[in-house]
Amino acid sequence: MNQQAISDLITKMADDELVLGHRNSEWTGLGPVMEEDIAFSSMAQDQIGHALALYRIQEEHMGGPDPDAFAFLRPAAEFKCCHLVEMPIGSYDFSLMRHFLFDHAEAVRYESLLQSEFAPLQQLARKLKGELKYHTLHADAWILQLGRAGGESYERMQAALDTCFPLACGIFEPGEADQALINDNIYPGEKVLYERWLDNIYRVLVKASLNMPDPAAITPAYGGRYGQHTPHLQPLLEEMGAVLRLDPAARW
Amino acid sequence: MYGGGYIFDEPNRKQLREEQLHDDPEKLAAFEDRITKGEKIEPGDWMPAEYRRQLIRLIEQHAHSEIIGALPEGTWITRAPGFKRKLALIAKVQDEVGHGQLLYNAAETLGKTREAMINDLLSGKSKYSNVFNYPAMTWADVTVIGFLIDAAAIVNQVANSKGSYGPYCRALERICYEESFHLKQGHDALIELATGTPVQKAMLQDALNRWWQPIMHFFGPPDKASHHSEKLMQWKVKMASNDDMRNQFLDTYVPKIWELGLSLPDPLLRKNTGTGRWEYSDPDWDLFFKVINGGGPCNQERLQVRKWAETEGRWVRKALMNNTERKAMPVA
Amino acid sequence: MTNPSYDPRVNRLKLGHADDPVKIEEGENWNIYEVFHQEKRGAHHEHVGCVHAPNPQLALVFAKEQFGRRKKCVNLWVVRSADILAFDLEDEDMFAGNLEKTYRDASGFKVMEKINKVKGAAKQAPGKA
Repeated sequence: MNQQAISDLITKMADDELVLGHRNSEWTGLGPVMEEDIAFSSMAQDQIGHALALYRIQEEHMGGPDPDAFAFLRPAAEFKCCHLVEMPIGSYDFSLMRHFLFDHAEAVRYESLLQSEFAPLQQLARKLKGELKYHTLHADAWILQLGRAGGESYERMQAALDTCFPLACGIFEPGEADQALINDNIYPGEKVLYERWLDNIYRVLVKASLNMPDPAAITPAYGGRYGQHTPHLQPLLEEMGAVLRLDPAARW
Repeated sequence: MYGGGYIFDEPNRKQLREEQLHDDPEKLAAFEDRITKGEKIEPGDWMPAEYRRQLIRLIEQHAHSEIIGALPEGTWITRAPGFKRKLALIAKVQDEVGHGQLLYNAAETLGKTREAMINDLLSGKSKYSNVFNYPAMTWADVTVIGFLIDAAAIVNQVANSKGSYGPYCRALERICYEESFHLKQGHDALIELATGTPVQKAMLQDALNRWWQPIMHFFGPPDKASHHSEKLMQWKVKMASNDDMRNQFLDTYVPKIWELGLSLPDPLLRKNTGTGRWEYSDPDWDLFFKVINGGGPCNQERLQVRKWAETEGRWVRKALMNNTERKAMPVA
Repeated sequence: MTNPSYDPRVNRLKLGHADDPVKIEEGENWNIYEVFHQEKRGAHHEHVGCVHAPNPQLALVFAKEQFGRRKKCVNLWVVRSADILAFDLEDEDMFAGNLEKTYRDASGFKVMEKINKVKGAAKQAPGKA
């Protein structure tokens, strides 16, 4: 097995989850209604937890670094997250739509990992199945109801979809070592996941009367997997590591 | 989390007598008899108007305190150092919101809608715990809030959970269970700083110095200065006196600060072994009332942020609003 | 805002003034659903509180995190509070136990006394066995 390729796959997955979990946790205490505040916060925690689990796989199975240092103190150029997760929280329409698109992508990815030849990923996928089910259930309920509500709500959700869609397509930016990973049955590759994801989100969007942009007509936001990021990532990382950096030798 | 003290709208004796004139004496006697026997009052029960009014006020302000209390600690959500602290802090702030949810529900059983309560918070008509009008300036502030403010809140909430109103007691039971996790988490993070590098120790000592006065204010004015409502005590709405709760808090937690080699900024603070009571410098009560009335460092910001959240979330709530449906208050 | 907040999240928000009138409408927090929690398979569903939600689907989604995130839980029910029919609390006297209805109670049947009596009779007449 190509260890470097597996490690890169894990890093991009973990970075996505860490950065989005971090963003979504900004809503904790500020949500539109208390019940939703609680639900959204749980999912943010889940995502940060997934990131930790992934960094731990690198640490325990691949000789990787300490997860805290790796996640909180690494320079932006070494992050492999996609642009979608870097964007500021915006309004709730944007955050909900991003959650819908991202969590469906995550669901197809982990579902494929149930068959992975790399045992730690396969085990993690099994462990996270239930959590991901809740995430997509939550996202689908909101997308359906806010889409069908018409008026301002419909317009906001359609606009959020138009903004988020090209960014979300960037989740599936092909990796250099994809073919090696496919050959080793680590995962089925970005192209396959992308097609499955389109099918899944399309089914929900249609029911919500939302128009999915034509995938052929948009430019996916690529670059993140190769360390090219939006201007939003650097300040996010500075903030995230601010306390840890006060005294990196200290235990907190 | 919540602090007692300036919670009750103390009715004057004349007012109370007038209220009671309207209460059916037979029903009042049965109600008071039930409480004396240690039974709980439930939402559908007959209750004196003054009991209902005071309970709504108490529970609603407790709920507001949870929602506003989420803000000072939320200040450090995006900067919490490392996975463990980050996850624990998000979960903790989330719990505060959850506590608010439970408490608003408990208050709703008494007949005031959540919307009306939120509006009274936003307009300033209804207060929340004063302690949240201070900023969390450093990470160490989060550990002090997490340990000492939560500890103070537990003293208060454990007392209240033995009160007479069923729905409030049930909400507090769950809240106290979660607060005990918060307390442990706060203690753990505080010990880490107290036993850490000189930078960390200095940061923690500064935070303790800043928070000591608000903590002493937490349980409210001294008993000798506050109007004593025997009725509220008899009805098991107010469960312990401000000074008793403050003493209980000092007794348990001051030693836990001192044992870490930390100091508290009050040269008079000591336990009188003769009386078993703690002695301390009289906190600045003028400041306490000034902060309650809007003059604290963060009163403005707290309300601005709550108003932002309500305004920002309005379209979501309105999109799914349906006022034609049959509605009822929570049943229990 | 005049002073920057200590919270970087707050500094990113476009805040209004503290005395801007903001009022929410009655009904904006939707309807109320009672939540019943099942701790493990085979156990009863027990009432644990309620959630505000616009419909049963979201009530379940919300209940899952508000009431299932900490305590062990395998299933939840939600039902609109308005759909619960209950006795008035003042009708508690209907439920008061009636001392004479001992036929409903285990203590109303003196089985052991009777068995002991039978056994005692058997001992006194051993030849009969």
